[in-house]
Amino acid sequence: MPPAQPARVVLTTGFSQRHTGGVKEFSVEPGTLRGVIKAMDARFPGLGDILEEETTVAIDGEIHEVVYSQPIRPGCEVFFLPKIESG
Amino acid sequence: MLTRTKDEEKTLKVVGTRPVRPDGEPKVTGLAQYGADFSLPGMLWAKILRSPHAHARIRAIDASRALALPGVKAVITGADFMEQPFEYVGPERVAVNYWHMTRNIMAREKALYEGHAVAAVAAVSPAVAAAALKLIDVDYEVLPHVIDVDAAMAPDAPLLFEDMITRGVEPAPTRPSNVSKQIDFRLGDADAAFAAADEVVEMSFKTAPVHQGYIEPHACLARIGADGQGELWSASQGHFVVRAYTAKLLGMEIGNLLVHPAEIGGGFGGKTVIYVEPVAAMLSRKTGHPVKIMMSREDVFRATGPTSGASMTVRIGVKKDGRIVAARGVFRFQAGAFPGSPVMNACMCAFAPYDIANVHTTGYDVVCNRPKAAAYRAPGSPISAFAVESVLDVLAGKIGMDPLALRLKNAARTGTQTAYGPKHAHDGYAETVEALMKHPAYKLPLGRNQGRGVASGYWFNGGGESAATVHINEDGSVVIATGSMDIGGSRASMAMMAAETLGVPYEKVRSTVADTGSVGYNHVTGGSRVTYATGIAVVDACRKIIDDLRGRAAQIWDVNPSGVVWEEGHARPASAEVGDFAPLSLKAIAAKRAVTGGPIVAEAAVNAGGMAPGFATQFCDVEVDPETGAVKILRFVAAQDVGRAIHPSYVEGQIQGAVAQGIGWALNEEYIYDKNGRLSNAGFLDYRIPVASDLPSFDVVMVAVPNPNHPFGVKGVGEVGIVPPMAAIANAIQQATGTRMTELPMSPPRLLAALDSAEGA
Amino acid sequence: MAKHHVTTTINGNPVEYLCETRQTLLEVLRDELDMTGTKEGCGTGDCGACSVTLDGRLVCSCLVLGVEAAGKAVGTIEGMAEGGGLHVLQRKFLEHAALQCGICTPGFLVAARSLLEANPDPSEEEVRYWLAGNLCRCTGYQKIIEAVLDAAREMREA
Repeated sequence: MPPAQPARVVLTTGFSQRHTGGVKEFSVEPGTLRGVIKAMDARFPGLGDILEEETTVAIDGEIHEVVYSQPIRPGCEVFFLPKIESG
Repeated sequence: MLTRTKDEEKTLKVVGTRPVRPDGEPKVTGLAQYGADFSLPGMLWAKILRSPHAHARIRAIDASRALALPGVKAVITGADFMEQPFEYVGPERVAVNYWHMTRNIMAREKALYEGHAVAAVAAVSPAVAAAALKLIDVDYEVLPHVIDVDAAMAPDAPLLFEDMITRGVEPAPTRPSNVSKQIDFRLGDADAAFAAADEVVEMSFKTAPVHQGYIEPHACLARIGADGQGELWSASQGHFVVRAYTAKLLGMEIGNLLVHPAEIGGGFGGKTVIYVEPVAAMLSRKTGHPVKIMMSREDVFRATGPTSGASMTVRIGVKKDGRIVAARGVFRFQAGAFPGSPVMNACMCAFAPYDIANVHTTGYDVVCNRPKAAAYRAPGSPISAFAVESVLDVLAGKIGMDPLALRLKNAARTGTQTAYGPKHAHDGYAETVEALMKHPAYKLPLGRNQGRGVASGYWFNGGGESAATVHINEDGSVVIATGSMDIGGSRASMAMMAAETLGVPYEKVRSTVADTGSVGYNHVTGGSRVTYATGIAVVDACRKIIDDLRGRAAQIWDVNPSGVVWEEGHARPASAEVGDFAPLSLKAIAAKRAVTGGPIVAEAAVNAGGMAPGFATQFCDVEVDPETGAVKILRFVAAQDVGRAIHPSYVEGQIQGAVAQGIGWALNEEYIYDKNGRLSNAGFLDYRIPVASDLPSFDVVMVAVPNPNHPFGVKGVGEVGIVPPMAAIANAIQQATGTRMTELPMSPPRLLAALDSAEGA
Repeated sequence: MAKHHVTTTINGNPVEYLCETRQTLLEVLRDELDMTGTKEGCGTGDCGACSVTLDGRLVCSCLVLGVEAAGKAVGTIEGMAEGGGLHVLQRKFLEHAALQCGICTPGFLVAARSLLEANPDPSEEEVRYWLAGNLCRCTGYQKIIEAVLDAAREMREA
């Protein structure tokens, strides 16, 4: 069976400069958001905690809190955004 | 796992109607209890001593004379609070740094703004406490201060923190400054793309800081026992957050502090943070008595909020046909005495309503000697919108295009790429523009000294953590409890969504806000999140109850639960084969609860995502008095995509209230400092918010593009309405007078000076 | 320093209290008499949240001293509902959703009742100007004005 189309992880410029040496886009295996975070943490140790605690995620544009069970379909875009303050 | 499915478009019976809110009677009879309305036996009164200097080193504090005053039970200073580690914890944009927070609650090394708390007294009466403050001797070494954001960024500006190195710059600067952080968002290549524009406009803007202006000053009552457990009654936008911050600063375990949600007299973001709670708690711990604090209005102005003042430069390029090809914004925001202005939001929201291929926004978070900024309704977005929506207006004029048509031509829709990263996942913006284009008043002619202005706005809206509990009482009536403070009618909308889901009359559902010991964690009431996220939790809990009720009915009928359906508030057999059973009401099932398993309860918790942003487009007509510079609002039409209005009156109320605040921000509100950095207008007389005679009635147009991720299609509505008014009014003033105002507020003296200098030019 | 013994009438009931010279009527109501329905928004007479009537006249209780109430009739929000039912104004505020957070509501109700006693058929402009001394930050005033006009209409028809 052919492998599922990878999901695309995208980071903001500032975040990538701080944590991933300026690289903004990554391919990861689809599945769940937990899996995506683990994959990023494997590449950049410590990044997992930061993604969990300091970001919100937009999955194909739809904004979600970072929740492990969030499904990540093949080919979707997973954009980690800074968390937003409210008033 | 509960799946969230969109309700079929059946006729809604409760949602969309306008019932009276369940907490209404206590509020109109003076019986509802707000933060300052609680007492306990043996209670002491506390007052806070505040720095008279905008910037000073605190060399020593001597409270001996105060402690000797009869009736004084304790004095505390910053030294009484444990040290907190210096680290930014949690969300990057408004990362909490407890090292900063504890110093904002009570100063240590330095007083960083006039009004900064330096000590507090607990005494047997407010008068004794006030007298004691005068007996506390503080040895200050006054330092030069800086308030204006541009001045704070100047190379020779006095530094608030001698070791502040700007974050977000590579390589890191070698010299300290007042710039806490720099951020950047890029899409495409804006600088290059300007070359392709037919018209480019670049303008600079300044805004003054403004306060949320809630009528209720901060107040609380704290009781901390010798056993380490305590209770707090506090007016806040989030008692779980109050619990977390207060416990942290006092070194208490979260579970040892029970926070009761007092009713709140306005917040608008300014009560998502704490000021008096740790002080009252610390004094209670020290004295062994309950301690009550209420801030004076003056202290509220000197020491809380506000939102940032800003200095901005915005550059936008368009083609002759109105297509925006490039946009650049530089936003410099005052953070106040500690880092954390909403400049990142400003950068992200500024161009968000539009489909622009090349965008670059830069933000600077700058500390200065004034109170630490707190959230104010769509924090950051109204400020950058003032600049962006003004520039768009100038461009519309240059290419001879109607300003609404310009916005519609560039409208973001589902799939449009935002400058801050993801693509838009929801429609709604274009609909707000179209609603105004069709509005009968948009084409009405205007007279002399009158003008019409248009502006749009964007806000993310929030989701996040909420929990709700539903109980069926012994008589079949329903109680729902959430942990979301009710600022503006949310008890009603929760009850309505529950009643609709359960299929029972609204009057059978009672809606409460429970304390931190009685319901799961609920994040703050703010960010336009409650009807969305807490609503989802309430509906989920009701669906669990329905499953339970079906199971109970199955037991009563002695059938399989798959043979029971729930319809219109009753359990019914799914088909004739199941049996000939009369429908069972909530009352009937509740009467049999003991034999079918006990109390009928359910709790649901969510970390909600999938929320849709807020889009608003507004136009206003003004008349300018050329003799006085006074601006009269003749008409204000506000269109907003609300998804679906659960209770239309409260949705209208949010939009009306937001517009009123925007008008005040545009025309009058500002902090006025003297040369010593002291606030000259620390009261409602001279910090002039709109009064009833300043405003006309507004025309609210609710556009409904439902959000499929919420059971009733809800989109958050509380905040985005405040984003467009300042630019809409500036654009209207420009049309009325030919003069473009680029500074807020556009108060009569400033407008008059601008008109006079334009005349002389 | 000895306190003053004040005898007065509040909402038609005889009341006695002790207060210091410097205490305002607002402080007496809230801190001595536990009548916390009257709110403090500013303490300097700028916001109207502390509105009460003194011998039928609308005043800011933060600008009146406790001793000044001696021998006078004080009217507060707690006395507005009549015999187990709400006053028309209170009902209309609820029907029209004229309150969001509700902190300014007691002051507005007392002020509005005072208006309708003086002028049973006010225009919208007259309502707005009469209530200009009561600040509201939540509603933008619109539903408050609608509620007052509707209450006035119903009271005239009664």
